[in-house]
This record gives sequence, structure tokens and C-alpha cells, in this order.
Amino acid sequence: MTDRPATLRCDRLTARLGDREVLRDVTLDLDARTTAIIGDNGSGKSTFARLAAGLVRRASGGLRVLGLDPERDAADLRRRVALVLSNPDAQIVMPTVAEDVALSLRSLRLPREERGHRVAAALERFGLEALADRPAHDLSGGQKQLLALCGAFVRAPDLVVADEPTASLDARNARVVADHLLADTGHALVLVTHDLALARRCERAVLFQDGGVAASGIAADVVDLYERALAC
Amino acid sequence: MYRPGTGWLHRRPAGPKLALFAVVAVVVAALPPVWATVPAAVGVAGCLYALAGMGLGEGLRALGCQAWGLRGMIAITAAGQLIFLGPEQAAANTARVAAAVLVAGLVPLTTPVSAMLDALERGLRPLRLVGVDPARVALLWMVTLTTIPVLARHAAEVRDAQRARGLRPSPVRGTLPFLVVALRHADDLGDALTARGIR
Repeated sequence: MTDRPATLRCDRLTARLGDREVLRDVTLDLDARTTAIIGDNGSGKSTFARLAAGLVRRASGGLRVLGLDPERDAADLRRRVALVLSNPDAQIVMPTVAEDVALSLRSLRLPREERGHRVAAALERFGLEALADRPAHDLSGGQKQLLALCGAFVRAPDLVVADEPTASLDARNARVVADHLLADTGHALVLVTHDLALARRCERAVLFQDGGVAASGIAADVVDLYERALAC
Repeated sequence: MYRPGTGWLHRRPAGPKLALFAVVAVVVAALPPVWATVPAAVGVAGCLYALAGMGLGEGLRALGCQAWGLRGMIAITAAGQLIFLGPEQAAANTARVAAAVLVAGLVPLTTPVSAMLDALERGLRPLRLVGVDPARVALLWMVTLTTIPVLARHAAEVRDAQRARGLRPSPVRGTLPFLVVALRHADDLGDALTARGIR
């Protein structure tokens, strides 16, 4: 494994959506390669994911993502952090599969040839090379989510933040997507999920409750704790 | 939208192709409102599709598909013109407008969107002088174009949801839920674009 700075450091982090406080005094230090974020709906998981991806501004407290300040170092953060959402339709912009993957490289201003090589390699890695010229919005749900992953990974991010990436997929596609996310290709993963079996496959887990951290630690232990709470 | 191919029109660079077809479309649209304009306008569109390098059959099939997609616009234009201007002007105006749109439609049909995006960005560079970012304008245009089928699918889902609840789909009842879905999609799309490093 390569040396990398702490994935995420939060110090009394608070975030608001409008007048509502959705995260309150969150203090966390995430260094594991793969971390699952679990908890009930409305517990603040997705807001936490968007904060990590630099899409939501914090109200107060400290936040460092890969050692960067998401507000001051926004451009660096976007180069190094990729986001995958649960709805692949919202992540597909261009009409064909290959063009959509290439869009992710647009801001890097790479030479056309290198862009082509990187797109081809990413399509091959995600098993999409045969679909390169197909209309992206005509793909199946599983293929669309793979395309969204491909668009995220083609930038070779240091951190992938995935917000319920398997929520709308069948078991087979969910497993394929999870395998790609969890594979050790040099990136760290922060995975928001309701799939507790998937959460167990991560190294660490954080349990969110009412906008705060209820537990964090080894994934299996945190998931066990959550399951016991659900059974009560 | 884009049909992969290797014909001469597919191989032309996007920028000059856009400029050439813009000129042809303007010339067709500027034909006089007389009966002779009808075969002339239809002939220009037909010839361009037939000779676009997709093969005669495929070219005419593509023309048929595009014309079928414009049937609503053609009907509304023809009806409106017929009422106010009479048959000759109605036929000529409808033919030249439809032909201009069909001719313009050859560009996205034979040009990958990424190539059009590059060409648009280059073509819009002078706008920098007045403080406009050409990359953003080009991307806005492209996102608008590619979001149309997504919004059409959302509209169909809203209609299906109405049917599932025993309601007859209606534009009045469907507008609000469609707007909610469309705005949510816009939020997610904005987040996804930002996260992909696109401002």
C-alpha cells in the first residue's frame, strides 16, 4: 500500500441545510483504505459524503480531506476526489459511453491521444469496451452505474466517495459495483451504504445517528452494534 | 443524435462542418415563399442526406426518422400559416423551415458530441472579450441537448405514476411532479458535474 495523508479529519464539524443542522460536532479521523458510513435515513450520512466531496460547505468546525481544505483547495480537491451517486442517470452527461467517460478528463486538458488511451483503458477495466459507442442512457441500470464508476475512476482519484452506489441495483450488479469500489487500486473509499453486508467488507465503519457519530471502529463491530440497535 | 460511421461527412472536422451547414440552412430558410421552394427545399435536404456518406438507403432512412421527429412542428407550422397566409406561402414556409432544421440535423448525426463540444468551444472564444467563458457556454448547450431524453423519460414516469393511481395523465396534474423531479435531477447533475471537475 502507498503512503497517503489521512483520508478525512473532522474536528467538531457542523453542517446545515437551510436552517436545519444536519451534522453536529462531528469529530472523526479516518485513515483506513475503505470506510463504510452507515445509519438511518436522515442521520447525516449523505451530507457527510457531500462535505467530503467538497459539494457542501461546513457551517463550523474543521475539515481536511486528503490534507486539503475543501473550500480553500477546491480545485485540488476536485482533481483528487471522485463522487459516485446512487442515481446513475444524474451522472451521465454525454450521449455515448466513451464520450461520457472522456468528459471526466476534459478539465485535465490532456492531449487527445492520451485522453483516448485513458478512456479505452478505463472502459476495458469496467468491461464496457464493447459498449463504447452505445447511447449511454440506453444502458441497463447496472451498466449505467458501471459507467458512472468508470467516469469517476478514469481520473485516477486518490479518494472515491460513494453515496449508496448499489441502492438501485440487483444483487449481481451490486456485487460487481462493490467489487470495483473495494478493489485496491491505490484509492481510498468512503462508502455510504444501507447494505450492511457491503459495509462489513470495509475495513472500518462509522455509525451516524441524528447528525452525530454514534460509533466508529472496525467495520464488523460497528455493523454488529447497529444490528443490535435495530433489533431492539 | 450521433450515428457512428466512416463516410466523408463523418470524417470532416466539426468546426468547418458546423459553419458550412449553418450557411446551407440559412440559404434554404431564405428561399422565397413560392411553390417552387417546396421541391427545392425538400430536394436540398434529400440530396444532402442521400450523399452524406452513410449510403443512399441509410441516408434516406435517417432523413425519414428526422422528418418523423419533426411531424408536430411541421403540422403546427403548416396549420398556422395556412390559416393566415394561404396555401402557397404555407407550403413554402413550412418546407423551408423543415428543410433548414433537417439540414442542421445532419451535423449532430455525423459528428460525435465531444467533437462538437471542442468546435463550439473554439468558435465561442471571441466571447472571452466580453467576459463569457466559452467552455461553460459550450457545455451548457451540450448538457441541454443531452438532458432532453432524460427529461422525456421523467415525464413518462410521471404519467405512469398517475396511471398507477387510477388517474388519467394530464399536463395540468403532471406539471408540478415533473418540475420536482426535473429540479432534483438538475441538483444531482450539478453535483455530479462539479465532482467530475467540471465547473
